[in-house]
Formats: sequence, C-alpha cells, structure tokens
Amino acid sequence: MSEIDRKRIEIAEICRVEGHSAVSVTIDDGKVTEVKLEVFEGTRFFERIVLNHHFDEIPHITSRICAICSTGHVLAAIFSLEKIFGFTPSRKTNLLRELMHLGMIIESHATHICALALPDFLGTPDLLSFATTHPEAFAIWGALRSLGAKVQTVVGGRPFHPVNLHVGRFAHEPDAAELMPLLHMLSNNMDIAIKLCEILLALKLPFEKTYQSSFLSLISEDSHYSYFGRNVISSEGWQASVNDYKQYMDERVVGYSHAKHSTVSGKPFMVGSLARLHFFSERLGPAAGRLYGKSPLSAGQQNTVLNNLAQAIELVEAIERAQAVINQLLNYPQEPHESFVAPVPTAGQATGAVECPRGTLYHYYQLSEQGAVMAADMITPSAQNAARIEHDIRVVAEEYHGQQPSQMLEKNLETLVRAYDPCNTCATHMVRVQYANID
Amino acid sequence: MSCARPIPKVAVESLTGCAGELLIILENLEKLLPFIRLSRFTFAQSTNEVGPVDITFVEGSVSQPHDLEKLKKIRANSRWLVAVGNCAVWGCVQKGGCSACSPENMLKSVYGEQSNIEVMRAAPPREYVKVDVELSGCPINATQFLSVTASLLKDHLPYITHKPVCLECKLRENPCVLIEQNLPCLGPVTAAGCGALCPSLGAACYGCWGPCESPQMDAMATILAEKGFSIADILVRLKSFGAPDKLFERIESLLPRDPSKEGNLYV
Repeated sequence: MSEIDRKRIEIAEICRVEGHSAVSVTIDDGKVTEVKLEVFEGTRFFERIVLNHHFDEIPHITSRICAICSTGHVLAAIFSLEKIFGFTPSRKTNLLRELMHLGMIIESHATHICALALPDFLGTPDLLSFATTHPEAFAIWGALRSLGAKVQTVVGGRPFHPVNLHVGRFAHEPDAAELMPLLHMLSNNMDIAIKLCEILLALKLPFEKTYQSSFLSLISEDSHYSYFGRNVISSEGWQASVNDYKQYMDERVVGYSHAKHSTVSGKPFMVGSLARLHFFSERLGPAAGRLYGKSPLSAGQQNTVLNNLAQAIELVEAIERAQAVINQLLNYPQEPHESFVAPVPTAGQATGAVECPRGTLYHYYQLSEQGAVMAADMITPSAQNAARIEHDIRVVAEEYHGQQPSQMLEKNLETLVRAYDPCNTCATHMVRVQYANID
Repeated sequence: MSCARPIPKVAVESLTGCAGELLIILENLEKLLPFIRLSRFTFAQSTNEVGPVDITFVEGSVSQPHDLEKLKKIRANSRWLVAVGNCAVWGCVQKGGCSACSPENMLKSVYGEQSNIEVMRAAPPREYVKVDVELSGCPINATQFLSVTASLLKDHLPYITHKPVCLECKLRENPCVLIEQNLPCLGPVTAAGCGALCPSLGAACYGCWGPCESPQMDAMATILAEKGFSIADILVRLKSFGAPDKLFERIESLLPRDPSKEGNLYV
C-alpha cells in the first residue's frame, strides 16, 4: 500500500504562444510535487552575438530577438546607448518613438488577445473555424492588427524590424501628409477596440483563484500612461533605478529550460499589463479609464487570466494616446533643418529599459572608446515571468485537480499560461495534458 | 481541370528564429484560407494534424538537435519545402553575428559553465535537407510569399531573383547614401526584395536579406575602407546577417588575427 498514486500532466507543446515551450505537472497522492515550464526554443546567444559590433548596428541586431516586440528591443538598445553617450534626443524624436511604441502595443496586444487568447473562450480550435464561426472577432483582429502595423510602417519603415529608428534620431521624420491618414485610421478604430474590451469584460474566468505575487513596472516620467522610464516601482513598496537591476533582481539558469528564471527578494514577480495597470490606472485616458472602472481590476482583482483584459484596456489607451501624440507632432513647429548633433561615441556602460507588451525589458551595454560593444546583457519580460508561471500552474493545479475534469484542467492550464502572453523567442505552441497513473 | 482534386494541405513550421515569418504568414492567411487546408500552424491554432502536406513553410535556423530532428520529419512529410526568412536561408544574426564563435563557448558565456543545453552552430535548413524554394528577407516580402504560394499551388516552381538592393534603389531614384553621404550602405552586396527600404529613408542598408547573387565582397570592402571604415569593422558588418564565411576568405587574409582570441575580435 506504499504505492504512490502519481498523475502527470504533460503539455508537450503549448500552441498559440510565441515560440516553443512545454509544461509538466506531477501530482503524487493528490499533492502537486513538481511543476516545470520548459522553454525549448533554440538558444540564440544575443548577449554574445552583439560583441564587437559597432553601436549603430546594435538596434538592428537586437530587433531580431523577437519580431512582435522588435520595436521594444530597438528602443531599449537605443535608450541604453544614448545614456552611455549622455545624449538627449529632440522632443520630436521622443514623440515619434512613443508613437512607434504604441503601434507595437496595438499590434502585439491585438494579435495576442484575438488570435492567441480568445479562441480558448470561443472554442475555436483552428483559424478556419475562428474565421467562419466568429467573423466579428476575426474582423476586429484584422483591423486592429493592420492599424498597429500601419503605425509602425509609417514611423518605422516596416511593420516590425524597423529601419527608421537609429541612435540619436530618425533617418526620416514622417511629415503631416504621412501622419494625417494614421490619425483618421486611429479614430476610426476606437469603437472596435472598445468593443473588443467589452467582449473580454464579459468572459468567464476558468479559475477563481490564481497565484498572487508582487508587481514590477517602469515609472513613466510623464504624467500620462506611458511605456518609457528610467526607474522601476515594486508593489512591495520600493523604487530603484534600472541601472541597478542586478541588485534588485536575481536571474538564474534552470537546467530544464532555455529561459533563465528571475526573482525579486527571492520570490517570483509579475511584469506586463496587469502590473502596469496596478500602478498607473489613474493615468489612463478617458475611454480606457472608463473601461478600467467597469472591470474587476478596479476592484483590486489580480487573477492572472485578467491580463488579457488588461491588454485590451491598454489597447484602447494606446489608440487614444497615439492620436494625442500625432496631434502634438502636427502642431510641432516646422524646423526643416533642426540642428542635430550626432551622439559622439564614448566608452561607458548603461542600462536602458522599456515597457514592452509583455513587461519590462532591460538592455545593458558596455562600449569601448571606438563605440564597439564590449559586454551586453538583456533581460526579457517573458524570462522575468517564467518563475511566476510555474508557481501559478502549481497553485492552480493544486486547487483544481480534484474539481475540474482532467481534460478541462489541461485546457484551462493552457489558458493560464497563455494569459501571460509568453514570448519564448524572447526568453531564449498546443498543450496536451496526459494523466497517467504510475504505480 | 476542375475534377475533384483534394484541397492542398499547407503547414507552417518554425525552428529557431524570431517568429517574424510566422507573423507575416498569419497576417496574410485570410487570402489563402479559401484555397488551402491549414494542416499545421502551432503558433496560430490548437488543432494540428500530422502526416503529409503539399507545402511546408519553415522559418528559423537549425540551432539545436531538436530543430534538426523536426526538420527531417518536416522534409519527409512535405512535397514542397519552402524556407522563409533570412534565418532559414542564411542563418541570420544567430549565425552571422558571431560567425567565428563556437556554440559551446557562447553557451558557457551566456548560460554558465555547467549548462547542459544542447547547441549546434546555427545553419539554414539547406545544409541538412533538400529545400525546394528559398525566400529570404527579414522579414519576407508578403507579396513575394503570396505569389510563390499561388505558383506552388499550381504545381509550378517559381523563379526568384537575387539582384542587389542597388537595383531597386536606382529604380526609386534615390540619391546614393554610400557615395554621397559616406554611410556604410551594404546595398551593392545585399539581395533586393525590400524595395530598398533603408536608403529610401536616407539610411544605410545593413544587409538583412542576406547576400545578392555573386556578391562582390572584396570590392565592397575596398569602398568602405576608402570611406575610412576599418577592415575589422567592415568584416563584422558584412557578416552580421549570415553571408557565408567563404565569401570573405580574401578579405580575412589581409587581417592579422590573434589565434588566442575566439570570435569576431578583429576590432
């Protein structure tokens, strides 16, 4: 009678996430004894690849870490390099960078919410059934994705892996004739973004209880909701400069995964839309603020699956804010040959950070006097969330393995992982849960 | 003619890369869905079949044994295998960014001495299996992707040219940023297809589509050296996006290299 009743949940490949990962859960005598989130995307060594490259190549190379958040990787690199040079970009450059970033937020959030997360709730296992049985949601995705891609194409030159963003400046500053159509496109899509948010507000969560942890987010230096900043805030009540990320965050290699695991004060934490809204909901624009007020988030709920809704609120916010940015750009005093002093390469080191769709992204570089990279480090949001995803699976599997039938639990665990919008190409696709009784 | 032919099956697979080609394909699927059956696309759907398909699009490079196993299965199951994106055609930055580094040393420097992750030197699928069509780009051009797909659905192998970016740049009547602005533009040795995106915005082409046909690397290096760039810097730039090492043998022979140093430490 000493046999252990062992159940294993094996999710061999999580579908509808970016990159390749698997989940395994071991349940012995009704107790969850082991949880592993295995990221098996091939390793790509970007910290090593960038060495010896001249600084002007770095944004182009780091862009390739991940397509959907390429703008974030470009900006984090530029912010770090400009910090090293002590360079302050023009206000117009900052506005264009913000617009570019908002384009990424719109495209990435729309793709995740509609194409990756929503099919769980709509019960559409493949794209064809999604397109044919829920044409309205499918059309919303198409429209919002095109909107985000268009913003990034006008500002950055293409929908991802932008070619127009450089250290110090834009190669070409889009003029009023290029920006005006964007303004119309943004205002025309506001209603469907709100509609998408309302679809998400009405969804039933698969679990009432998920793991709770601290949140971490950049603090914007502006008064509006923003994705840029030089300091972070923790819900444990402290703030720090991103330059000190190695002091407040531990990163360790785990044997079974190609993604490193991060902890703060020895515990997993969460970055991303839920975290940002936790700190800065009062900075939202009017439409996004109203939707937030109607959401369970405003009542203090922190259920992980609500991250989908948090992204939908940010999507509305991004469309509102992008219009404000364009209006500022259109009213920007015309100075055709604004005096531009290119950054002068100097030796030094600094950390740049940006709030990507999935959370805070850090890039650290050390440069030689000639402007070549001597050392580099990149900490991605998906790597920061990896440890928390494991804890979340553990908490949920423990709470619900007796309550939900195995097939449902398996499916719901996948929904849980997907809510983080994990990006495994950054951190370095179908969940199949197998229950087996091993004696 | 129009007698009952089964709907062609299409699969979209990825090895190691940034998932950019998956995004381009996902964004253009609506145009294809009426004509194909999407058998596999784990990035985009939960129900995926195994077994033979008419066309497989594969993105990413072979960077680990897992990728190679997967690629061999993909090849065995595909009538047409189409490699999409720079990663799958040249190996992109994970091959070219540090082409002289050993993967084992890179692993140690990023994941620590004890790491047991299995790694391979990043390489495009063609180095391991027969590839029927190669579509470079970082990302690929959506129009090219759709026309190649249309062609293959009619059982016709498309013809793809690899003219240099300069050709597209001249057609757009851009001023030359290499000659007139002394920017390190790699347009003369880079495959076109992007529409000369960077020079059209006043920036230097950085080679993201990989090399054009018969790239004149020696001449390119000479021009850049005349502009004041060091041979070391030039080599690093020319290799960043996966151009094969054998194109650089002559340029490299000009450089004194310290054999005790590993990697692209010419600087």
